[in-house]
Amino acid sequence: MSTNRSTPIHSAAEAPYYRAVGNEVEVFRAAARRGLPVLLKGPTGCGKTRFVEAMAHELGRDLITVSGHEDLTSADLVGRFLLKGGDTTWVDGPLTRAVRQGAICYLDEIVEARQDTTVVIHPLADHRRELPVDRLGTSLKAAPGFQLVISYNPGYQSVLKNLKESTRQRFVSIELDFHPADIETEVVAHEARVDLETAQALVKVGEAIRNLEGSPLPEVASTRTLISAGELAAEGLSLRAAIQSAVVQTLSDDPDVVRALGELVDAFVPRS
Amino acid sequence: MTATDSGSPDRFRLLATCVAGRPLGVAEARAGEAPHTDGRLVFVSADRPASEQRREVLLQAALLGAGSLDRRWVRPLRGRPKVARRYLALEGHRVFAELAARIPLAAAVGPNEEATTASADESLAVARSRRTVADPPGWFGAIRPSRLLGAPDGGPAARANDDDLRLRFDPTDIPETPDAGDAEHGEESKILELFANPLASNIFSDFFNKLLGNSRSPGDGAAGGGMPARSMRRVDSVGPNARPLPVPVRVTSDTPGAAVGVGGALYPEWDVHKNRYRPEHCRVIEFPLRDAPDVAAAGVVRDEVLRRRLVRLGLGPKVVRRQPDGDDLDIEALTDLFVDLQAGYSPPEHIYLERRKLDRNLGVLILLDASGSTTEIDPEGLSVHEHQRRAAATLAITLEELGDRVAVYGFRSHGRQAVHLLALKRFAQRFGAGGRARLNQLRPDGYTRLGAGIRHAGEILKDDAGTPNRLLLVLSDGFPYDDGYEARYAEADAHKALEELRADGVACLCLSIGATTPIDALHRVFGSASHANAPTLADLSPRMDELFFAALDELAAPRRRGSRAARTRASSG
Repeated sequence: MSTNRSTPIHSAAEAPYYRAVGNEVEVFRAAARRGLPVLLKGPTGCGKTRFVEAMAHELGRDLITVSGHEDLTSADLVGRFLLKGGDTTWVDGPLTRAVRQGAICYLDEIVEARQDTTVVIHPLADHRRELPVDRLGTSLKAAPGFQLVISYNPGYQSVLKNLKESTRQRFVSIELDFHPADIETEVVAHEARVDLETAQALVKVGEAIRNLEGSPLPEVASTRTLISAGELAAEGLSLRAAIQSAVVQTLSDDPDVVRALGELVDAFVPRS
Repeated sequence: MTATDSGSPDRFRLLATCVAGRPLGVAEARAGEAPHTDGRLVFVSADRPASEQRREVLLQAALLGAGSLDRRWVRPLRGRPKVARRYLALEGHRVFAELAARIPLAAAVGPNEEATTASADESLAVARSRRTVADPPGWFGAIRPSRLLGAPDGGPAARANDDDLRLRFDPTDIPETPDAGDAEHGEESKILELFANPLASNIFSDFFNKLLGNSRSPGDGAAGGGMPARSMRRVDSVGPNARPLPVPVRVTSDTPGAAVGVGGALYPEWDVHKNRYRPEHCRVIEFPLRDAPDVAAAGVVRDEVLRRRLVRLGLGPKVVRRQPDGDDLDIEALTDLFVDLQAGYSPPEHIYLERRKLDRNLGVLILLDASGSTTEIDPEGLSVHEHQRRAAATLAITLEELGDRVAVYGFRSHGRQAVHLLALKRFAQRFGAGGRARLNQLRPDGYTRLGAGIRHAGEILKDDAGTPNRLLLVLSDGFPYDDGYEARYAEADAHKALEELRADGVACLCLSIGATTPIDALHRVFGSASHANAPTLADLSPRMDELFFAALDELAAPRRRGSRAARTRASSG
């Protein structure tokens, strides 16, 4: 029952690194100027969170992140009374704080939360832009600058864990995917602080795994796993061992698949 | 179950797939045979070190990936081993040089020779000319035009026809792929027509069917063509598509199931006459349907009644919080209530926990009879197969939407050595448009060795479902028939297989939809499990929850005994 699941991220001066591929930055900026809520779609580890961080920094707004999970209640978002001694005090939830401060509220993997929870964002996500707080008996007008961003991974989810149409249609959608090879190479090199050559080899491995026809893997190697591999390599591990730990073993538990994937990876790693 | 050990070349399959850009398996060639490929499998030389096999795989896959082994290049090589060798040497160096730019491994193990030609076209021209071409190194292997041309055209993108869907062990045994599509309907049997009455039930023709020991297909494509010669001859003239099928299918090459990249498993069969099992009697081969389907045909009939019924299916206890009434106090809710009261707010007093049977945790494997015996047509022009296929799609969609783990497999057999399980949707896959279209386009073929199919499906369910509640849903007309697998013997084996599964804790439910099999026959086959039959799925939908419950409930029985103490405490507290 903690209310501090949220973390304001930006006070640091350094801008988060994000390389735009399509028009996502323009779309986000335009939506931000009009206060339109944004829905981010994309596979695991393709940079959804990083994109929001970068945009929040660019717009000079605070970012409050909440991760969705099964037991997330509307009180966790809006706030609740706490007992202090014999008295009760009201504590704002992350969503309420964002509404008051005019920050960007990022609800990560919101589909994980129960559908009755997601309904509290409805009045915030349309022209009303207000958050009813029934415990306080008031309704808060969103401060200028408040923007709602939710992310959603359209992977393996049953209908029970899908966004309601009524929720969905309040959002502007931005689809993110893995970056093209040359840009991804730059990203990996920058993030993991490895040389371009290593980054290139890593991205080649990633691409090879993503393009496998009839792949036995449920998920492919994300940019995040490639960066982890790069980081391991930068710490002095051999590239082969780094990929083995950060990518191959992470993607599958089946020994047969691990072995076959290992062979594939080895082919792409230059012998040194 | 699968015959893969750590040293098996199977582990190169992802590498080969990646290089060739299409799914490829890797298997060992016969001893002394040079490495080659048939377009689906790369055969590497046996008993060579792994490093050697690796580069053999690399080269063969690269040749396929670069299109050097396309039909138009390979056809001129047929029957001209010398030209083929020269072509291989030229193309091998060319594709390897190209590959080396992409893949560091290729550069490390390659021949590192300059390519002398720039395209397959040029290589072929040079190979046919009198220019001297150095002999290729041994690991380049050989090009086998007969095998390559025997393989279906166009790789995975091509539409599969009957022949693709059936597993072939030795392509040279079977004539070139016939034209698909026009083999839809053979001549109707003139004799059977006399007894078939579209309005009344066709018990009479059924009787004749059985009397004559015939599979019940009214002459549809391969199913009819595959009839053993001892049964009756039903055509007045042999059509252009008629072809004899070897019955039973014998494994003629030494690369059985495992070589197809998917493994084969042996299962026993129950011999009711001798009252004993025949050990390792059936070989079940599981393989995915990989052809790219026509996605436009991915429509599935939805059944709201079915969905509403199946929603009710709760199998395990689940804690429901904040209830107005219940077994226990919900401390969290109680604290909240207290805080709210202190703050001067009076919320409803929902402070109890309740344990209700809501948790599903159900894994369902739908086993669809895809054999030729289901081609019988009903008055509306829908075959039994059509009915069952639709039912399978509707059930799979409904269950998936409800959050259950679902897999869909089709099965058919060609004798005891070739029982095929076609993976239409595995547990880990999503039932997307591709999977649905593949199911919609599944064509019946072959025979029904029900027992082996059920046994293997049970194994898949036990291994992959990953849920405590497992249900095998068999959609079949309840008419097991195969070579040496008939009447009482077949019925007893299927019966036994279901019984085994239930003993292993897998629930079984058998639905016979649109079939005219008499009730007592169904009972003989499916008697040991819950079973039901109806003309359409919609007729069963209103009581589907009862059927599921009946199948799953009997399995809960032994568990209940084991944890009686816990349960009584839960219900009284």
